[in-house]
Amino acid sequence: MLFGNYIRERREKRKKSDPRYSLRQVASRIGVEPAYLSKVERGDVAPPSEAKIIALATELDEDPDVLLALAGKVSSELQDVIRQRPELFAQLIRELKELPDHAILRVVREIRDGDW
Amino acid sequence: MIELLHDTLNFDFPEVHEEASCRIDFQRTLRIPDDNKEYPLPAGLGRFPVRHVDDYANKIPEEWKQHGGVLMPMYQSEALWLNFSGDYPFALKIAAGKINAVTGEGWKNALSDEPQDYVVIPEQPWLDGFAVGKGRIRQFVAMPLGEEYTAEEQITGDAIHGGIQIIAYPMKAEAYEKYCLRSSTLNKMTNEICYYDMDGCAMGLAPGGLMCQEIYDDPYGMDVWDRAHSARCFIHIVNSTHYKKVTDEFPPHRPPTISDYQQAGIPWFEYYADELSAIEGSKKLAGLDSIAAMKIKKGEAPLADNESVIPANLKTISVGARKVKEWNG
Repeated sequence: MLFGNYIRERREKRKKSDPRYSLRQVASRIGVEPAYLSKVERGDVAPPSEAKIIALATELDEDPDVLLALAGKVSSELQDVIRQRPELFAQLIRELKELPDHAILRVVREIRDGDW
Repeated sequence: MIELLHDTLNFDFPEVHEEASCRIDFQRTLRIPDDNKEYPLPAGLGRFPVRHVDDYANKIPEEWKQHGGVLMPMYQSEALWLNFSGDYPFALKIAAGKINAVTGEGWKNALSDEPQDYVVIPEQPWLDGFAVGKGRIRQFVAMPLGEEYTAEEQITGDAIHGGIQIIAYPMKAEAYEKYCLRSSTLNKMTNEICYYDMDGCAMGLAPGGLMCQEIYDDPYGMDVWDRAHSARCFIHIVNSTHYKKVTDEFPPHRPPTISDYQQAGIPWFEYYADELSAIEGSKKLAGLDSIAAMKIKKGEAPLADNESVIPANLKTISVGARKVKEWNG
């Protein structure tokens, strides 16, 4: 699903029970113009910055990593983690990509036993 | 497999039984007086921090990388005890400097019952030292390798390994089902260049003061242990004075002196498990010099902070009250 569609759907769902989730009020709380947020929701402009996406996630009680992924972004925090050991993380992600969710959730760091 | 979580080693064998897990942490504690009097068990004062050696590969000796495992800080002359948790039965072999803490023999992965060279948990809730006699241990006390104090050096004449070594064997699944259903008593019990001068960073465990602690006979027998499955870990001990250079973290504060301990009213413990019998202890370990005795033998200054005391605030605990030895006061 496109980022804008997803945001609009989630916001409208909340608005049904809470008028504070109108386009205008949400835009105000995350610090953008209502017209800009409207364009984002319609897909007329590219998704906003990482900071605004995280603010939207907080506002709509969504997982920021999921919203960032929908926007085609990776959080700067995760980028920092990957940059420290790029080969290892690239290898890890490639090896895990086909695994089912429950198997990925069981990935833990074992204590390495060596030669002694 | 072994996982490190919250400074605790978590041993899990889901391939043996879904409940086959146990945990081991390393408790900071008082170094009891090394005066040949027998003392009760001192309290735990919190866990030592434990870290993966692989996270500090550019700052540790090459041998430590080969060993794998974890590292933890200890001050010279600081004591520790091992805290065992979990309800699933395990046979644990514990060694210091690859000298078995129960028998005094050199390290072997395999279990032996002649004599018994392992402890059984959950029956054995703690281990505070080397088994030097029936119901008597000499406290685990950290000393630098190469100064002749450690059990390893006294027995082998070499200062090579240091640290602590552990291998865990879970109970066979069928034995677990049988014993858990059968016995209410048992159920109740619960590659770059090293940037730092690391000379003198490696510590081993030496025999300290005498303490009353029974190492229990295996109540199940050898056949129940699943010897096809095991996991082992090398716990390196870094002198606390080097710990920050290695990890960028401060080590814990120095442990209290004996007078601090008494004045603060921190309890001592006597532990009873009447249903269990104790092993005899090792004559080889009994023949080792304690740190205080070794200092005299070497003509060194007497061990500091070693005055005899009468333990105040003595508490008696029995099976089922295992966790109270950890003091949170």
